[in-house]
Amino acid sequence: MFKILKTLSKSLGGSKPAAAPAPAAKPGSLLDKVNKGAPVAAAKPPPSPKTPEELCGITGKMPKEEIRAQLKLLFRRYNRTASSLDAKLRHEAETMLDAIVQVREKHFGEI
Amino acid sequence: MAEYVGIDLGTTLSGLAYLKPDGNPEIVPNADGERLTPSVVFFDSHEDVKLVGSAARDGGEPDRTIFQIKRHMDDPEHLIEIDGKKWTPAEISALILSKLKRDCSKICGDITEVVITVPANFNELARKSTIAAAEMAGMKVKRLVNEPTAAAVYYAHSQGVKGRILVYDLGGGTLDTTILDVEGESIRILTSEGARHLGGSNFDDLLLEAYADQYRKQTGAVLYSDERHRRRVLQATEDAKKMLSKLQRVNDTVANDQNSGIARIDLTRDGFEKLVRNMLTRTVFLVEQALDSAKLKPSDIDHVVLVGGSTRIPKVKSILEKMFGKTPKSCGNVDECVALGAALFAKKSARIQEVCNASYGTLAMVYNAKTKEEKLMNSIVIPKNSVIPCSKTQVYQTSEDNERVIEVDITQGEDEDAKFVDVIGRITLDVPPNRPKGCEVAVTFSYDENQRVRALVVDKQSGRSKEVAVTYKGAGVLSDEELKRRSQHLRAMRIE
Repeated sequence: MFKILKTLSKSLGGSKPAAAPAPAAKPGSLLDKVNKGAPVAAAKPPPSPKTPEELCGITGKMPKEEIRAQLKLLFRRYNRTASSLDAKLRHEAETMLDAIVQVREKHFGEI
Repeated sequence: MAEYVGIDLGTTLSGLAYLKPDGNPEIVPNADGERLTPSVVFFDSHEDVKLVGSAARDGGEPDRTIFQIKRHMDDPEHLIEIDGKKWTPAEISALILSKLKRDCSKICGDITEVVITVPANFNELARKSTIAAAEMAGMKVKRLVNEPTAAAVYYAHSQGVKGRILVYDLGGGTLDTTILDVEGESIRILTSEGARHLGGSNFDDLLLEAYADQYRKQTGAVLYSDERHRRRVLQATEDAKKMLSKLQRVNDTVANDQNSGIARIDLTRDGFEKLVRNMLTRTVFLVEQALDSAKLKPSDIDHVVLVGGSTRIPKVKSILEKMFGKTPKSCGNVDECVALGAALFAKKSARIQEVCNASYGTLAMVYNAKTKEEKLMNSIVIPKNSVIPCSKTQVYQTSEDNERVIEVDITQGEDEDAKFVDVIGRITLDVPPNRPKGCEVAVTFSYDENQRVRALVVDKQSGRSKEVAVTYKGAGVLSDEELKRRSQHLRAMRIE
């Protein structure tokens, strides 16, 4: 495991995590090792379905430009995930891409 | 012998072009007299023959017919079993390439070396599989070139334009957007963005659902219950989609194969546009992503060029016109320009500067001096859009005392969040014992013209190093030996 010597300043302005469920790590990756240490969540009743805004982490008070930037970040992220070999990840990505389009149409109008 | 040959190995259609002595490219028809060959393979059960093209698409049994194999070129586990033999996506693609090579060489001369086009966002494995397919078909791949780059080369050649061009390539299976600068014979790619599984066949699937809904409402029955009939209806939806690019309204009738009655399907262009609006909005996101990557505004683009059969949809043109404030131009025949550009690229590649299509890096724990927290992040070594070929190095430190093994994960992707990048390989390097943490390790990534990556890890204190090309494991990934064996087998096959 490494610590970065030269790119610390870049990483300080890191991007916000998505509100959507994160894809699982690939088996054998460092990320996988990290995740294995995480506590397992207790069984809970299924949560009520989230709205497109909730999925995209958009709140009512967000300025338009912030919404636009968040949608761009999420699109870049989930467009990539949409071609994953993992069917579960592809399905999650499709849900997110649909939500991203819906939020865009609601806040910025249809194409 | 044809010296400069380009092949567009498409999701739905493939084509081959060569450069004529006058310097202009020309499409070479196949032995069936078609300029483009459907990328479909049929394995006949009666004769030992593989049909490729229209004959394979229009007849045969669904269980023995392979469509859109290109969508699986990046899947190391994807295998198709026919008569007990397992075929990899590269082998199926090799059958399509063999048909093109055999048919076209009768017209343009022997074909030994080719440029093959791939979607801009094709990953490592898909590129490697494409090269393997060509080798099995008996052709050496001079270069792989991104499809929108090839189209832009053809556009610049045929139209004599200069300036900044945005290519919007919406094909049967993928969308690519590339921005490039053209100055005379020199072309400089600025960025490429792509969306896999976003193309005309997705629109056909949506229309198919609409047909099935209409049928259920009118007859109370299901429209199709087997693959054979689903394929027939899918062909009807594709025809209807094409007609809606010319007409405002299309009427069709469909029936299932259970005698449940006939349903009348009434389609309007407006209704079709609503159906595919979600997909088209995604394409807008991708265009914006390309502009952001190149740090450009729509007004910085001089020409918007349309490539791919799905750009015939009028709404595509109107969306881009609204976005850029100028009418998009079609790249001649939108189905043929990629192959034509590939043939030009075969001769002009030295004057075309390309960029890295993805970022490559490694996973690293990053210490935040402000919060004093450590976080696992994707640390990029080669950023996307670096001019290729290129080689870049970053130095990292070991984090624990007496670390005996250094493991470096190779990542592909731009996201800083490690959860949203692909880990495409790993280098493991043994280092001497009893060393304190903080030993420096240099990680170097090199990227070649075919968009393939190599990684080198050097432990600076001990001088130990290891270099690897990214390799893949899986039932569908052939070893060099297996590739050679299957190539020989394939060359003896009857392919029509």
